[in-house]
Amino acid sequence: MLGLFGTLSMANRSLQTQRNGTEVAGHNLANVNTPGYSRQRVAIETSLTIPSEMGPQGTGADVVQIVQLRDAFIDRLIMNETSVRGSYEARQKALQLGQSALGQQIDRQATGAEGSAAAGGIGGQHGIAEELSDLFASFQSLSTDPTSIPERQVLIIKAQSLVTQFNQVDLRLGNLRSSLNDSLTSDAEQANIALSDIASLNKQIIAAEIGTDAKANDLRDVRQKRIEDLSKLVKIDTAATANGGVDIAIDGVTLVSGPNVFDTLETYDAGGGQFLVRTLTGGATLNLAGGVMHGTIEGRDVDLATLQTSLDTLAGTLISEVNAVHAGGFGLGGTTGESFFTGTTASDIAVNSNLAGNPSMIQASGVAGAVGDNTVAVQLAQLADKKHAGLINQTFSESYGQNVASLGQALNSTNTQLTNQQIVEKMLLRQRDSVSGVSLDEEMTDLIKFQRAFEASAKLIRTVDEMLETVMSLKR
Amino acid sequence: MRVTANTFPNSLITQLTSLTQRQNKLQNQAATGQLIRSPEDDPVAMRRILDLQAEGKQVSQYKRNIDRHQELAVASFNSIKAMKSISDRAREISISADGLKAQPELNLYAREVTELIKSAVQAANSKNRSDYLFGGTLSDRPPFVMTTDANGNVTGVTYQGNTTLSESEIASGVTLSAQNVGENASGSGPRGLIADSRSGADFFNHLISFQNNLLSGNVAAIESTDRANLGLDEENFLYHLGTSGAIQSRLEVTDSIATRRSDTLEALVSKEADADLAQTLVRLNQTQTAYQAALQSAGKILNSSLLDYIR
Repeated sequence: MLGLFGTLSMANRSLQTQRNGTEVAGHNLANVNTPGYSRQRVAIETSLTIPSEMGPQGTGADVVQIVQLRDAFIDRLIMNETSVRGSYEARQKALQLGQSALGQQIDRQATGAEGSAAAGGIGGQHGIAEELSDLFASFQSLSTDPTSIPERQVLIIKAQSLVTQFNQVDLRLGNLRSSLNDSLTSDAEQANIALSDIASLNKQIIAAEIGTDAKANDLRDVRQKRIEDLSKLVKIDTAATANGGVDIAIDGVTLVSGPNVFDTLETYDAGGGQFLVRTLTGGATLNLAGGVMHGTIEGRDVDLATLQTSLDTLAGTLISEVNAVHAGGFGLGGTTGESFFTGTTASDIAVNSNLAGNPSMIQASGVAGAVGDNTVAVQLAQLADKKHAGLINQTFSESYGQNVASLGQALNSTNTQLTNQQIVEKMLLRQRDSVSGVSLDEEMTDLIKFQRAFEASAKLIRTVDEMLETVMSLKR
Repeated sequence: MRVTANTFPNSLITQLTSLTQRQNKLQNQAATGQLIRSPEDDPVAMRRILDLQAEGKQVSQYKRNIDRHQELAVASFNSIKAMKSISDRAREISISADGLKAQPELNLYAREVTELIKSAVQAANSKNRSDYLFGGTLSDRPPFVMTTDANGNVTGVTYQGNTTLSESEIASGVTLSAQNVGENASGSGPRGLIADSRSGADFFNHLISFQNNLLSGNVAAIESTDRANLGLDEENFLYHLGTSGAIQSRLEVTDSIATRRSDTLEALVSKEADADLAQTLVRLNQTQTAYQAALQSAGKILNSSLLDYIR
């Protein structure tokens, strides 16, 4: 038998239990919008029974634990999907910047000279495509009027626009490469901060949970958030340890073990401005499989590098083909052997300064002294239709169109993949939300529940008090 | 599935983001009239459009080349016509200058023929823009140089052009020249306008011989040789006039083919790149309605909670 004082004590514990319930509901309400927060529940169990002549008798209820409602399986899935999304996002960003660097657009409302519809109403193209067409159109015009200085000047201006466009695109792609390297380095620093945070949280969690079954719920929430932040930057492998810590490894190299940071990340130049990632102390080269850093490297080394190489090939072929024809011709003054372009790639292609300074030196004639001859100009114009072995048997325009389409295809696929990935991740997040998210309705109901129970416990105390009063008044 | 406090806001954000993106895309399409603007919009169509536009620009350039050829053909035609009338007058004189004419009369004819030669040389040295029309590819110098004696009679006209024509493209791989060379004694290549070994034409020398025969009163030679020779020259001019007309008509045909191709290309590019305005606007409307519906329904749901009913 508990007796009146035992009942009073039970009522007191019941008050505490219900108060704990309202506290946890309040904590949940306070964190309803906290990112990474998982709702908590008080685990209430019946207190130990005591033997009595009537058999075991209940002694009320106790809070045994505050439980966090979290699904480790969903957490792991989200962590992996976050890495994939990070990678697509970074690649999309790199490709979008590449697309801007290329500056190729279609403008159906473009106008030509004096507002006339451009190119017979089919619109302008902007970018290298337009300049390339213009160059060959100028060769054509020169072929119809080989002695005309104005036609020659127009040709020089068009050629200069084309080479400037090549140079600019190359420069922009080069700058983009440096920016991507910078962002890789900055992401590595962010990852190092996350690694050190996770180690420090591990330390606090291990200290809080040592020798008890209770979980350091809120610390675990913060750690999970940091793990997800890190996995967005770089794909990681995690392993939970018995003492409550989480070990972090990248590409098989353990970087965090419990409270200790074994190693951190650094970027290094693998040659030719190709920044890659390795561990700082161990020097182990890391093959990243996902995350923003992986996407940045992929975008830079696969898509943008291909674009830059193809542009170089296009510029190189243009230079060599035009020069080969041009060198055999004769200028208005009889000069011969001059190249039309100088340089070898998109970065250094330029119009021969001798010709730019004196357009009469453009070698349009195929016969020395015959200024009205246009054989070479016609051959130069016909290069536009020639399929070049170096450009996989495509014409200059087709090859450039191919480059644009490849970049567009890569960006288009990445956009689609990212959209799909976002759908997957949103679904997982919704699932996690359905397990771990705070529902205001539920918490309010809980509040009412605990409040009523609290009132009932108080009533019990008052009842016992009155009973004690009665007992006390027996002897007057 | 358990719905929590953040399920609605999170879904709403996702839905609104997606609807805003769609509205932005459709609005862009409606404003520009284009389905495709950047390579990412539709890479395959972008490639086709770039190819079609490159071809379109090429066709426009061919049309400009054709215009240039037409200009040259018309200029040449006019000069040849002028020479043909000179030739007509010379033949008239050759018929008038018979044995009944006294030497002073023949001298007057000779004076007229001399002037005719000078006019013909002037016509044969015609220029278009800065180029001489009939010097072949040596277009920077007058093709015909005339020499006269102390009396002003023409003693010779020499050709300093060549027999090469400058051909340029009027369609992909198709070249043409609207030019005529002044002389061709080689028996091959383009026929000479003034002198040609195949037709026997040698306009200036025939006129000079005619002039000299008039001066010397050699009416017999005029009747036996000069008249026939001038006939050869006239036939040669007719040949060139005919050829020039044929070239002009070929240019017109090629120009109309190029115009048709240009129209076809415009239709093809339009098919690939242009937005169907009606469809775009209907879809934009739908999206805007969905956006408003999302906002309104979410506003109602987010506004009401258990809190409204607890005192």
